[in-house]
Amino acid sequence: MLDINSGAVHVVDKMIYDMMDTFDGTNDEDVVAALRGTYPEADLREALGELHELMDQKELFAPDIDVPPTFRQSGIVKSLCLMIAQDCNLRCKYCFGDGGSYGQERAVMSPETGRKAVDFLIGKSGPRKHLEMDFFGGEPLMNMKTVKAVTEYVHQREKETGKTIKLTMTTNGMLLNDENIKWLNDNNFAVVLSLDGRKAVHDAVRPTAGGQGSYDRVVKNFHKFVDSRQGGSSDYRGSYIFLRGTYTHKNLDFTKDVLAMRDEGFDTLSMEPVVLKDNPELAITEEDLPRVREEYDRLTKAYMDAHKAGKGFFFFHFNMDLSNGPCVAKRLSGCGAGHEYMAVAENGDLYPCHQFVGREKYRLGSLDEGVTDTHWPQYFRESHVLNKPKCRDCWCRFFCSGGCHANADLFHGEIRDVYEVGCEIQRKRLECALYVQAMLALEKQAKENN
Amino acid sequence: MKHIQTVNKPSLQASLKKGGCGECQASCQSACKTSCTVGNQVCETMK
Repeated sequence: MLDINSGAVHVVDKMIYDMMDTFDGTNDEDVVAALRGTYPEADLREALGELHELMDQKELFAPDIDVPPTFRQSGIVKSLCLMIAQDCNLRCKYCFGDGGSYGQERAVMSPETGRKAVDFLIGKSGPRKHLEMDFFGGEPLMNMKTVKAVTEYVHQREKETGKTIKLTMTTNGMLLNDENIKWLNDNNFAVVLSLDGRKAVHDAVRPTAGGQGSYDRVVKNFHKFVDSRQGGSSDYRGSYIFLRGTYTHKNLDFTKDVLAMRDEGFDTLSMEPVVLKDNPELAITEEDLPRVREEYDRLTKAYMDAHKAGKGFFFFHFNMDLSNGPCVAKRLSGCGAGHEYMAVAENGDLYPCHQFVGREKYRLGSLDEGVTDTHWPQYFRESHVLNKPKCRDCWCRFFCSGGCHANADLFHGEIRDVYEVGCEIQRKRLECALYVQAMLALEKQAKENN
Repeated sequence: MKHIQTVNKPSLQASLKKGGCGECQASCQSACKTSCTVGNQVCETMK
């Protein structure tokens, strides 16, 4: 049982579960009347006492959350995504970036533009000490010249300003070689590696520009990379290596893909649903949802079975710290797109995030002009769950922060709307994550008591 | 308690007053990157 406004998670027995259909915090006698025929009255009253105890501790029916004073009126930019290469050596069939080009000419970012982006980030970051720069594409390793030049400049500016800029990269692995691996390790990059699970699944959706499968080549490179760090770190705040996959309508049995990656020797994993519109072959639609929900139950069981057998793996979306999660201000800020987080196109144009690159309506300005748009940054800032009509009453609102703005825009042309299929999947995935965390917490408690 | 086991020490209400330092990692919600959903993050000050 999750108390939305406190974040408390309670494991309850069947009687409490049934009582919660009626109990609203004020109607003990209604609860007793409704269940007197099912449970002994003395037990019901004892359980009501426990529920009231939780209420006294503000861990049940905690007060509604409104925008707190800690949520600044306007955002401070602390994270930039650099479209290092709007070009790619793969032609993934679900790519939202038109094969890396984002609907524009294939091009790469110059070192000069990249260095300007570093100055822009530092200049906009105000008192924030921890900043981030993500090297994205397309395929960023296709433009190592700029990646290296920007990284060198980042280190110089860190020394000059006292800021810490965390560097991250998402790569398809095609160009990962010994030299690149050493360089990424020497520069403490956190890296996300794209792999879709089983070889047949991966090769079907992630072919090279020439139409060949890419699995064998990238898996060989990923092994080298993971081995070079003596395994990956699962702490997303450090220099992690994650293997991440995308599942589509064609592999709704994606538990097999997660386990295939685990069996391949990778144990820090993520697997997420594709987001596509008007693609009958690969898109996940409302009709797929029962199957998707069933599959998350299967994945949860596989995850717990592996854990119990001492062969546990890390699945990003089942990982939660229910006691030390983000503050309300962060949960309202969400991804920060458009106000705390921006993307820089290869030509220096600024967008709310990487997914908006090429959606001209959302162009915010450029590195040379600065942020010239006066509407979008504030609109994005205020587009949090308490201002999204479909989120206000959703139990998931402080976990998902309203979902992806770009997806809402893709399906409805309005970032204060939601992408419903994504919401359904998010709710199921979170339900599984809460279950996993509750079971692990009980296991820990039991060990401590023994 | 006999019927209820609370598995965490929730901090959401307390964070209404003392949160908002902004030092935590950005949390892309889309599926194309890390998809670092807010709910899967930890407060930077509680490292």
